[in-house]
Amino acid sequence: MATPGGPRPGNLPPNYNPNSIADNLHNLQINRPNQPPYPGNGPRGPPPAFGQQPNSQSQPFPSSGPYSSSPFSGPSRPGPPPPGVAPRGAGPPSSGPPHGSMPPFMAANRPTGGGGGGTSSSNAPPMPASRPLTSGPLPSSAPVGPPGPFASSPLTSGPPGPPPNVGGGSMSNGPPTFGSQSMQGGPQYPSANVRPRPSTGPPPAPQTMSSFLGGPADNQPRGPVPPFSAPPRGMQPPTGPPPFSAQGQGAPHPQGSPFGAQPWQMQSRQNAPPPPISGSAQPPRMFGMPPPLPNQQSMATISPATGPSGNAVSGPSKIDPNQIPRPVPSSSVLLHETRQGNQANPPPPATSEFIARDTGNCSPRYMRSTINQIPCTSDLLNTSGMQLALLVQPLALPHPSEEPIQIVDFGEGGPVRCSRCKGYINPFMKFVDQGRRFICNFCGFTDETPRDYQCNLGPDGRRRDADERPELCRGTVEFVATREFLVRDPMPAVFFFLIDVSMNAVQTGATAGACSAISRVIADLPEGPRTFVGIATFDSTVHFYNLKRALQQPLMLIVPDVEDVYTPLQTDVVVPLSECRQHLDLLLESIPTMFQNNKTADSAFGAGMKAAFLAMKSTGGKLLVFQSVLPSVGIAALSAREAEGRTNISAGDKEPHRLLQPVDKTMKTMAIEFAEYQVSVDVFITTQSYVDIASISVIPKTTGGKIYYYHPFSALSDPAKLYNDLRWNVTRPQGFEAVMRVRCSQGLQVQEYSGNFCKRIPTDVDLPAVDCDKSIMVTLKHDDKLPDGTECSFQCAILYTTIYGQRRIRVSTLSLPCTTMLSNLFRSADLDTQFSCFLKQAANEISSAPLLQVRDRVTDLCINILHSYRKFCATVSSSGQLILPEALKLLPLYTLALIKSIGLRTDGRIDDRSFWINYVSALSVQLAIPLVYPRMMSIHDLNSKEMDGSVIPSPIPLSSEHVSDDGIYLLENGEDCLIYIGSSVDPDITQKLFGISSASEIPSQFVLEQYDNPLSKRLHEVVNEIRSQRCNYLRLRLCKKGDPSGMMFFSYMVEDKSSNGLSYVEFLVHVHRQIQSKMT
Amino acid sequence: MTEFLDLETQDAVRMPWNVLPGTKQEAAQCIIPVSAIYTPLKPLPNTTPLLPYTPLRCRNCRSILNPFSIVDFSTKIWICSFCLHRNHFPHHYQSITEDNLPAELFPQYTTIEYELQNEKPTSLITSQVFLFVVDTCIIEEEIGFLRSGLSRAIGEIPGNSLVGLITFGRYVCVHELGFFGKMPKVYVFNGSKEISKDQVLEQIGFFLKKARSSMTGVPGTRDGHLQDNVSRFLLPAAECEFALNSVLDELQKDSWPVPGDQRAPRCTGTALTVAAHLLGACVPGSGARIMAFLGGPSTEGPGCIVSKSLTEPIRSHKDLDKDAAPFFHKAVKLYEGLSKQLVHQGHVLDVFACALDQVGVAELKIAVERTGGLVVLAESFGHSVFKDSLLCVFQSGDNELGLSSNGMFEITCSKDVKVQGVIGPCASLEKKGPLCSDTAIGQGGTTAWKMCGLDKSTSLCLIFDISKKEILDIICSSYQSSSGQMRLRATTLSRRWDLTAGFDQEAAAVVMARQVSFKMETEAEFDPIRWLDKSLIHLCSRFGDYQKDNPSSFVLSPRLSIIPQFIFNLRRSQFVQVFNNSPDETAYFRMVMNRENVANSVVMIQPSLISYTFNSGGEPALLDVASIAPDRILLLDSYFTVVVFHGSTIAQWRKAGYQNEPEHEAFAQLLQAPLHDAEAIVKERFPVPPTYNSDAPLVPGGDVLFTDDVSFEVFLDHLQRLAVQ
Repeated sequence: MATPGGPRPGNLPPNYNPNSIADNLHNLQINRPNQPPYPGNGPRGPPPAFGQQPNSQSQPFPSSGPYSSSPFSGPSRPGPPPPGVAPRGAGPPSSGPPHGSMPPFMAANRPTGGGGGGTSSSNAPPMPASRPLTSGPLPSSAPVGPPGPFASSPLTSGPPGPPPNVGGGSMSNGPPTFGSQSMQGGPQYPSANVRPRPSTGPPPAPQTMSSFLGGPADNQPRGPVPPFSAPPRGMQPPTGPPPFSAQGQGAPHPQGSPFGAQPWQMQSRQNAPPPPISGSAQPPRMFGMPPPLPNQQSMATISPATGPSGNAVSGPSKIDPNQIPRPVPSSSVLLHETRQGNQANPPPPATSEFIARDTGNCSPRYMRSTINQIPCTSDLLNTSGMQLALLVQPLALPHPSEEPIQIVDFGEGGPVRCSRCKGYINPFMKFVDQGRRFICNFCGFTDETPRDYQCNLGPDGRRRDADERPELCRGTVEFVATREFLVRDPMPAVFFFLIDVSMNAVQTGATAGACSAISRVIADLPEGPRTFVGIATFDSTVHFYNLKRALQQPLMLIVPDVEDVYTPLQTDVVVPLSECRQHLDLLLESIPTMFQNNKTADSAFGAGMKAAFLAMKSTGGKLLVFQSVLPSVGIAALSAREAEGRTNISAGDKEPHRLLQPVDKTMKTMAIEFAEYQVSVDVFITTQSYVDIASISVIPKTTGGKIYYYHPFSALSDPAKLYNDLRWNVTRPQGFEAVMRVRCSQGLQVQEYSGNFCKRIPTDVDLPAVDCDKSIMVTLKHDDKLPDGTECSFQCAILYTTIYGQRRIRVSTLSLPCTTMLSNLFRSADLDTQFSCFLKQAANEISSAPLLQVRDRVTDLCINILHSYRKFCATVSSSGQLILPEALKLLPLYTLALIKSIGLRTDGRIDDRSFWINYVSALSVQLAIPLVYPRMMSIHDLNSKEMDGSVIPSPIPLSSEHVSDDGIYLLENGEDCLIYIGSSVDPDITQKLFGISSASEIPSQFVLEQYDNPLSKRLHEVVNEIRSQRCNYLRLRLCKKGDPSGMMFFSYMVEDKSSNGLSYVEFLVHVHRQIQSKMT
Repeated sequence: MTEFLDLETQDAVRMPWNVLPGTKQEAAQCIIPVSAIYTPLKPLPNTTPLLPYTPLRCRNCRSILNPFSIVDFSTKIWICSFCLHRNHFPHHYQSITEDNLPAELFPQYTTIEYELQNEKPTSLITSQVFLFVVDTCIIEEEIGFLRSGLSRAIGEIPGNSLVGLITFGRYVCVHELGFFGKMPKVYVFNGSKEISKDQVLEQIGFFLKKARSSMTGVPGTRDGHLQDNVSRFLLPAAECEFALNSVLDELQKDSWPVPGDQRAPRCTGTALTVAAHLLGACVPGSGARIMAFLGGPSTEGPGCIVSKSLTEPIRSHKDLDKDAAPFFHKAVKLYEGLSKQLVHQGHVLDVFACALDQVGVAELKIAVERTGGLVVLAESFGHSVFKDSLLCVFQSGDNELGLSSNGMFEITCSKDVKVQGVIGPCASLEKKGPLCSDTAIGQGGTTAWKMCGLDKSTSLCLIFDISKKEILDIICSSYQSSSGQMRLRATTLSRRWDLTAGFDQEAAAVVMARQVSFKMETEAEFDPIRWLDKSLIHLCSRFGDYQKDNPSSFVLSPRLSIIPQFIFNLRRSQFVQVFNNSPDETAYFRMVMNRENVANSVVMIQPSLISYTFNSGGEPALLDVASIAPDRILLLDSYFTVVVFHGSTIAQWRKAGYQNEPEHEAFAQLLQAPLHDAEAIVKERFPVPPTYNSDAPLVPGGDVLFTDDVSFEVFLDHLQRLAVQ
């Protein structure tokens, strides 16, 4: 496939090496529109990419010798893929070796991955640079390879003719150049970015496209035939792998090689000359978008720097797995100003570490949009295939170096608000008439400025005091709530602990674990008279404890009627912490022994919660439930329907996903009642068996809580995590009795909120509790056209009570430019946010639609976006190339990973899937990515690595290729942490790290201990760093080959082909083919 | 009269008619039914032996060998005096001769007691069981009083008696006293919900350790685990005194907030139900008492008597008459069910109601009365009536109540006498037979009754039907268990006198009082005054001497001379005139009367007034304003209260302190005499009445008493006139 961007402009001669500046430029133009990428972007790893050093940031393209020089260079392109090319490509043709040889493509890909050079790229050369990559590779390679191989390949035809538009276009090559560009696009901050102010430049539009390989077919044996095309189709070999097929015979090589061969063929296609494009600029098609061309051009002119890039990967030829786009972490801290030059500054990737400086827009921690430019019309949005949504995380944890949110007290009058839409005063409200009036940036209404708030305007039209007033110069401020926001006095901080003491819970040590965790955590609760605590236990009955007995030990109050529970005392069950510390300690110490011989296997979980709720009803608060078995009696008792489920599945049940839905409405009804009285529930499930999380999770989900899942619970290794989870739960920044609403400018409206909360009226979200980890997705829809050239504002206002009893309104405002250009949308797309939305939507669907359908939808979403881009923004390129917008180049990888994630697999336990669904629901953007595409690193060689400042070693792609038998690897997804020990690891290393001499001695329950040697210390540093990054203690597990733990580990190798899906390369080929078929 | 008292001493029986009317018609003309007031546990004369064996019963009618049986010593055969069946004496009676009679055949031992040896106790648990059910919806001060009252009582409980504790307010808290050093536990039941026995048992974990299937019907007491479970809730007083006191120390006012315009949520009905279930599971069939301490009306759950809103007053007699008490019937139904359960289990419900408000005694009456429970009504837990009465229950010695339990009362009579029923604290065992009359009154339609709780003064009023003109005998038997032994007492009666000569006016008045109370409670539209008047007039017409239509010629025989006065006072008593009393008070008075013996009941009907002067040591005075004099001290005993009233002069002297001066020793003695007598009265009585001292107003004649009622003279006039018509 051609490089995306590049091609069209057509301009470029086919050959151009991607590298060549000229070409680039052209491409740029094209791209430009799209891309004004981050400065950083472009660069990404391009050049190097190829090489193996994917990530590394090579210097700007130009320099990047490899590229340019390489294949592309000269001849590259079209028609005649010079043999020379081959060299590079060489690899390819040869089949083989994915390695270096592939370079070209790889390169392209890489780029993406690499990301490094961003900045540089952006600048002048950028474009070029970028291009080079892509195009370079592909084309070149293609061409190259072609000769021989191509021919063979079905596509063959392709090569020769570089028909411009070639529909079927095999020719991609030409453009390939772009491909390279794509590289730049790397959305992520390239390391380069490191520089604090990346911003300098205009925020470039990131968009780049990475172009891809056409389609290499699957690597392996399968059909050598690559994606491409049609030909393949016909033949699908039985092998399975779809497209490619035919060639299957090719070779059974193992991965690496596979590409090689097949790819080639593909390459041939690549040829498609980009040239045609010339005219192209204007992709006829775009609907509304006439602009494209113009814009692009303009863009181009304007900011040459930015390199749009599309990475074109030549499909056919081998795709070097090492070269395809992969996330590249930035190892250093970025400095991000939310607005620069009075323009919104697109945010850094959510997964990177950055320090935000609030210069008008709120920090992306609090709110980020899937696209950083807002399409003026819904048609434009629809055409892009993307979603318009916000992810808000109103209490997100700031970076320690960020300036704290300022608190503004307007006194009795309360914060200034628009009298029509009630929007809060923010930097985008426009003061007119000497400051006597202001125009609301949401509804457009002109309000009178309250007299005592008036201030003259300066020559620039801003209020003279704007810089002194946080609400006029900061995107996020907190207002002190006045009486009108109070329906009652702010509630105290109430923590109610509810502990399962049924037989299983006691025997597995879960009860003791919970008690000890609570006991330790109590010390961390805020002191003072406003902190209240209550404790209850339950088995088949519910036991409360009167903690306020002057003279004696606590009194146990048993509520036996679990069908119709009540709280036994109005007072004394929930008491001020300061008055009951001793009783609490005594009680928590004695609970495990008191129930030591409990023979009651039943668990009245629902009744326990209901009873505890009743005890807290007058104040509201947090209910923390520790539960170990399937709730079997009393209100909301559940049945072990998992077993039925299994039989149903074998019986061909048409709706296996029913098990992922709550069994009935009981829990929901309860949850809504809880929420109404501001009770939030967190459930800590410490179990060995099925507990029907699908049903249970309704309660935390609706009340703003969360499920914590420890399965199978180990009394040895889990208490530490339990304690840490609990501690974080109660000590993290949080608020109670919150109400949140998002407002947006006229023309847009909120379509839906999604997350863990209770919704009683459509416009507001009720959060009995909200904390720094909870994120809410807000989907938006157009109800009118937005005027081009203006900005559109979003404001998230959350009214909440702090843990110290202050009532506050935190207001975050984000103002983004509107655009009529499709390419702008692609360039300003925020991959992390966008993907988080996909993830959440997929999770929402899993329980209501057949799994296949959900997977297809996820894939389609990805394909549609890429198709739109291909169709409207990269028309010039040859169809033989897969062209990815730089900003979204990782979308296929993430999509593939999503399809293979626990929630979308059928082989997982029902509870694991339900937990996954629930976990995703309130997941923040920065944790969404690692959840599906975990971070893996080798740890056996920790000591030998150069860390350049970062504690955490650089990640390894999630492919079993990268896992060797003599290594030890750590993989973490923000929740779990697996340590895989290869079967032939140096015993010295295992001894140092784990105190065992070989993998075979791995204990089933594992506690990471620190030994007195540098390696072990380093491992600890790494683990601790990860923990602090994730705000999660992580469940550590040791895995080894050949047993279930090993299987689990390998199930995270999402780039591998498995029973759950294609390999990464195959998937790219699949996507490519789909796009192609849509194009025709 | 004394002959009646002698008879009572021997047999513990008082009968209005000690000669039975010969025919049904004659009996009908007697107006006052043929009846007997029997006090089963009245202490027997010391001379009466306790027979250490099982009585001999007639094979045919199961009656017991008695002095009226005809014995043929030669053939060793006895003929039952009721059914005339001939029974052989068993072996161990072979030595019987005319000179060697067993005690039960001694003519003077018409009432004799057997100690049952081989009867197996129905339960392993032979000691008394006290389950305290304590209301916590009361103000702190009252809680303090109650706490100290209970603590003292607990100190008095015999160490081997089992004790349990339930507290309640909005919820019912069953305290697990057997925690021994571990954390004390309380099971909390929802007060607003009806709860079945199975639920209670399951919820307090009674069946935890054993499959339920093995528990058919009443759980066997032999099961060891049952014992374990029982000992969680019921412990020997000696063992749990500390635990109990510690719980009481922490006893707090029910914590549920009560809005100013509402009554506290109080689930008396549920609490008592749970208590009954608990005892039913722990100690079925053996004597146990639920002692309820109530501080206000039940407002929650089944058995509530009034809504929580203070704007709605608690039902009055008027409401009950108009059927305008919405909760009444439901509550009564609940307690009726409860009484059946308790009777079945052999357990007693005692009520100590201490509140200014009504607490629902009227509704509780049925459960208390059927089980033979005690009832005490006072204004506060700090009041002496409560404190002293509670102590009384547990005290031992001469004045002990002689609480016994699990009594069964059977009656056998000659075939022409039939039993209509019993009015008094007992419950029918529904043993139907030829002896049952077609008409039933009180607990009728049976010849056997259960008396779950009874004491020395518990008296039953038996009402008979005479169907034929033949005079025959009656026999009563009763079982009792006291201090764990099972005893059987047999009383055999045979009465012959001339009809009038055998008329016991006091017994008659008491029978009338019980009857009229019963009718007022059970018959709609019943006019008690009219009924009493008619009865009295007919009685006088039947037995008076007079010339027709000549009122002045009317003369009543001395045997009947006081009955008009009794009836006159009965008409004005709290049993009939409910106007000034609440339904609770009325129920209380009636319950007390229904269980008391003749002498005490008469005092309730017609208070006794004794006057003390320097000249007389204390002589009865007329119940009339005229009895008040400046130099007199009056002692008024209305049974429920005792008042010492000082005439104005006496009062002045007393205030001047003359009694403290040696030269006025006599005055001191005069002052002391009524107090001394009052003390004696109070000592023997349950509930312990309050004693009031009062002084006459200093200005003589300052008070004129007005009353709507006709005076006794007017009443008599009318009576004479009507009687002779």
